[in-house]
Amino acid sequence: MLEDNKSYSNIFLNGIFNDNPIFRLALSMCPAVGISTNVMNGLLMGIAVLFVQFCSSLTISLIKNYIHPRIRIPTYTLTIATWVTVTDLVLAAFFPVAYKSLGIFVRLIVVFCFITMRLDVFARKNPVFPSLVDAVGMGLGFMFGMMAIGGVRELMGMGTLLGYDILGFRPLLFFVLPASGFFVVGFMMAIFNYTETVFNRRKRARRAVS
Amino acid sequence: MKEIIKITVGLTMTCLIAAAIMGGVFIVTAKAKKHNEYVNFQENMLKLLGFDQNNPAPEDLQLCTVYRYLIHQDSKISLGYMIPVQPSDSDETIMYQLLLVNIQGEFVARHDLNISLTQANDENDRKKAITDVLSGEAVQIEFADQFIVAKNGKERLAFLLPGKTPGFKTHINFMMAMNANYAIVGLQILEHQEDPGLGAEIEQEYFKNQFIGKDVERIKTLKVIKEPLPDEQLKFLERKKWIDNDFSDDKINELQKKYQSKDICAITGATISSVAVVNGVKNVATKFVYRVKVLENIISKQNISVAF
Repeated sequence: MLEDNKSYSNIFLNGIFNDNPIFRLALSMCPAVGISTNVMNGLLMGIAVLFVQFCSSLTISLIKNYIHPRIRIPTYTLTIATWVTVTDLVLAAFFPVAYKSLGIFVRLIVVFCFITMRLDVFARKNPVFPSLVDAVGMGLGFMFGMMAIGGVRELMGMGTLLGYDILGFRPLLFFVLPASGFFVVGFMMAIFNYTETVFNRRKRARRAVS
Repeated sequence: MKEIIKITVGLTMTCLIAAAIMGGVFIVTAKAKKHNEYVNFQENMLKLLGFDQNNPAPEDLQLCTVYRYLIHQDSKISLGYMIPVQPSDSDETIMYQLLLVNIQGEFVARHDLNISLTQANDENDRKKAITDVLSGEAVQIEFADQFIVAKNGKERLAFLLPGKTPGFKTHINFMMAMNANYAIVGLQILEHQEDPGLGAEIEQEYFKNQFIGKDVERIKTLKVIKEPLPDEQLKFLERKKWIDNDFSDDKINELQKKYQSKDICAITGATISSVAVVNGVKNVATKFVYRVKVLENIISKQNISVAF
């Protein structure tokens, strides 16, 4: 069922670069702005999302033949909600420290549109294994994005990284406020796009030479 | 028509499976979650009393919880204090009694409760035990608050008062400790959602320790001032952070006296959070002192041998 030009590594890297949920698709900006005040929060959120995306993709690709096409979106929502609740309960029970800092945002994973989008665009049409590869790629892409934003905001706002004092002073308190999330996301998006343009131009140039 | 049935059955099945999975996970995790909350609460109580790994709590340390309920009975409202009682002065087991007090602060009735100490930690068990002893129609009980009395042997160490106050974003949950003279000996922020770097600074020692030593009369007029903390006071408040602190006991006493009656200095950029905490402390402290005086009055008049 796979198209020929899509190898597993392509699917995997697609989630991290070409279709990065935060920087390319600009989906799920609410957590990207709200919770990415430090690297640790970004990492924890990323892991939670990775888990939910993985389990939901697995479920949907397994039962895709039984889903009535008219009610596919409610089914996705239910699937995601189930796994989010599982994550929420497990975090609260076994990782109380992580649960404390993530708080309400774990429950918000239910409405992360890129998870639903991935289920509809990919998991519904592909066999189990490619769906899982896609899920991991997407989840990691989100995790790296969150960690990058969190890193910049923590370093600029608090002068620390992962709780360790790096700068020894606080450059700009503004960076820990929610509004700065938009600025950081915007700038990183620009950097991301610029790098890609340069990369593609070089690739084309190389192709032209050969 | 066939389509509709198909869709209905499909969605119902999905919901049922989802419910089964969630229920299963809940059963597995519910106990651990409750335990976590309990441990967290206990840890914070010990921290407030000044015990930690280097300075473990004595074995005689006893924490007695008093629960306060609002009881609506036949269109009358009364207060129900659920108090631990130790019959006579012997080392017999502690049991719970319900003390009914009317709004004017007068004693109404006293009931034995059929509840064990471990059961008393559970809200539903408490409610059940209380409803069992109350007669009359349309009895409604409502949990109001609780306070904890820490006791080392016979000596009363402190009252621990959990409280809640609306902060900048959501509620700030805190717990404070008061000694027998109703002066604050410690403040601990349990849960909050303030902005990191700004409002979240309420967790820091230099803010929390400003409350120490203030008695209830001072708390009534306590307010937030927008002045920077003097260097000397800052160093004094954060003295526990530095291992090689050069404060002698005399110096600590002297500085404590000097800053005891001072108002609370607001956190830079987080006046709202600072004010919220001050108001919460004010509220909890003044109400508690009033209530505990009423309660102690009744206890001594009725000759109840309480465990605290």
